[in-house]
Amino acid sequence: MAQNIQATVISVVSHRRERWGGKTILGLAFCSPLILVFLVLVITPMLYEIYLGLDRTIYPAIFSDPIFIQTLWNTVIFVGVAVNVKMFLALVVSALFAADHWAVRILSGIFLLPWAIPSLPGILAFRWMLNGQWGIVNKILNDIGFAGYPWLVRRPTALAAAIVYHIWKYLPFWTLMFVAGRRSIPKDLYEASDIDGAQPLQKFRFITFPMLRNLYLICSLLSMVFTLGDFVIIKIMTGGAPGDSTHVLATLAYRYTFQMGKLDWGVGTFITALPVTLLFIFILIRWVK
Amino acid sequence: MGKKSFLRRRIHWILVLCLALAFIGPSLAGLAAAAEKAKLTVWWNKGYYKEEDEGMKKLATEFGQYNNVEVDITFTIQDDLSPKIISALIARRVPDVAFCFFTDWQIAPKFAWDGKLADVTDVINDLKPRYLESHLKTGWLYNNAEKKWSYYSIPIEAQALGSHYWKDLVQEAGFDPDPKKIPMKWNEYWAFWKKVQDNLRKKDPAKYGKVFGIGMTSSSRATDTFYNFEQYLLAFHGEILSPEGKVVAAEPKNRDAVVKTLAFFTSIYSEGYVPSDALTWTDADNNVNFSNKTVVMTPNPSISIPGAHFFTNKDNYYNKIGSILQPASPVDGKGYPYLVSVKPIIIPKDAKEQVLAKKFIRYILGTKNFTAYVTASNGRWFPSFKDVAADPFFHNPKDPHVPVATDQHLNKPTRPFYYSYHPAYSQVYTENVWGKAISRVVTEKWTNEKAADEAIGRIQTIFTGWK
Repeated sequence: MAQNIQATVISVVSHRRERWGGKTILGLAFCSPLILVFLVLVITPMLYEIYLGLDRTIYPAIFSDPIFIQTLWNTVIFVGVAVNVKMFLALVVSALFAADHWAVRILSGIFLLPWAIPSLPGILAFRWMLNGQWGIVNKILNDIGFAGYPWLVRRPTALAAAIVYHIWKYLPFWTLMFVAGRRSIPKDLYEASDIDGAQPLQKFRFITFPMLRNLYLICSLLSMVFTLGDFVIIKIMTGGAPGDSTHVLATLAYRYTFQMGKLDWGVGTFITALPVTLLFIFILIRWVK
Repeated sequence: MGKKSFLRRRIHWILVLCLALAFIGPSLAGLAAAAEKAKLTVWWNKGYYKEEDEGMKKLATEFGQYNNVEVDITFTIQDDLSPKIISALIARRVPDVAFCFFTDWQIAPKFAWDGKLADVTDVINDLKPRYLESHLKTGWLYNNAEKKWSYYSIPIEAQALGSHYWKDLVQEAGFDPDPKKIPMKWNEYWAFWKKVQDNLRKKDPAKYGKVFGIGMTSSSRATDTFYNFEQYLLAFHGEILSPEGKVVAAEPKNRDAVVKTLAFFTSIYSEGYVPSDALTWTDADNNVNFSNKTVVMTPNPSISIPGAHFFTNKDNYYNKIGSILQPASPVDGKGYPYLVSVKPIIIPKDAKEQVLAKKFIRYILGTKNFTAYVTASNGRWFPSFKDVAADPFFHNPKDPHVPVATDQHLNKPTRPFYYSYHPAYSQVYTENVWGKAISRVVTEKWTNEKAADEAIGRIQTIFTGWK
């Protein structure tokens, strides 16, 4: 009996030594640069942000800013409308690009161009086109007998312009995702449905969409996380104008931090959006699992 | 014994060695750096003309050679430099000297308040006899950490609101374009630019159908908006702060002036004499619209507009563009003080080479050196020093623009912006309260009174946060 216990103890100790001795320590040593980078660049700033965000006095201050609530709404509209319309269109358009035809291949190359164009010139081009005085959009309207409209001078149309640009820019990428998804659906399902006499809409409803559902949701959530932090489109397209009515959380946080020098306000702005972002990430992780 | 067991037996020593190197390495590097010559890090605003940057680079090189130091000078445009300086001050990884065109209202008051700027009274005392009084005042800031007023920035050059117009367009509209013939009474002045627009459009609708009489920046994105607004608020005899830094905007006389100023801005916009996009303009857009001849006249807080034409089109500079000052007050028909936005140099409190930084600033602000630098800006900036302002460049009778600014800075009453009375006002500028108020009326159809009350209320709220 005593011998058995001794043998068990020796076995456990040697197992631990094996576990924490050789390979594991070596493995940790090799991983240490990555762990260090992760600690320094991800964990530390996040903890510091949470620490700054714990100061309760910043929330009454930022909520007292007359544009803050409007900015929250703008963010909801921008993210909600832009992502959902974009994803729906991507799903629809992917049907065309999933077809195997030489013309489709050429068209898909052209379709990808907005994604390849750098953001800055793209947004500036949109701004110029929508210029109330000499923009091409108003020029065309005038030429066909309509009055021009100050697109970027009214909040609804300025926000809409940012949403349209977002869709134009990122639609090709997400379409590509759905094209890949569609191509992974087994062809025999469609062949079987053909034998059953299914119509195109029925095929979409009973085969394509169920097979793409998970991909659609994951892509939507990912896109929402990306879009929530999108700073460039609003900053360049409207800069918050007219009258700071088109800010989103990312541009407002930038203004608080880098123009007003109020780091705590900037952090507070993002922390107000953190529950939503964390929810997206949580759902995303659950879904991926 | 295989490779695996060799590594396994020595892994602890390898780890210890790595850790030791990690700790000792930086110290060894520090010792090596200490043996090298001192290094002065300077972050400078990129000039509008290459002559400005070249002039500053030359001064930095000369200073480095005379003092056996390495001067690491970098030039960045103000839109990028301002956030860079703010980030550096927050992170406490700072340059030794920083100069940005946005420092006066975005950086100096706030960070002097936070106690993050070095006290530069000794440098100011050396320069004091040379200073223009209204410029000097802007360096006097409050340090809330040490509960004291002192000099925390070194003013060097300034701008004030002028107006520029196309003489050929005025002539085309049937008026005499001579600057002396432009009516300078308030109502007549604005009616004049409206009439110019009306006449031009009537004369040739196809050519001038989209030309506007007044290029008034009215956007919450542009610093020009609050510059224009607060200048014209003085014309209406309104005050936001008392000289003691107390908010007095809600007092009936001042509220009335705010409402009238707001009504002035929103009425010229709503009547169609200002381009609709002026509500989204950045600081550069009135310059662009003027140069494109889509506006006849634009108020601008420097003479950068004709200055840009000097290098590209001398005919425009000397013959086609006119420069004038602001019309008389609508209240009493008299003049009123011009607001001066004075651009200062700062030394962060955490700067490593503070003594050297002060020596560098004294060097570049020497009369000869600074005259060469500031004249390279072609009159965009007016020097804060009387001896530099005495240079013939600023008094050339053949120049139609620079002497107008000189007259404004030297002979007209001038005063600093409100952040000199209380640093909390820097937040009012950053939030661009007036741009927002204009937008409330124009796009959201608020009354001028309601928008004025919201703006005044916001100013009061901001001030309660600066205690």
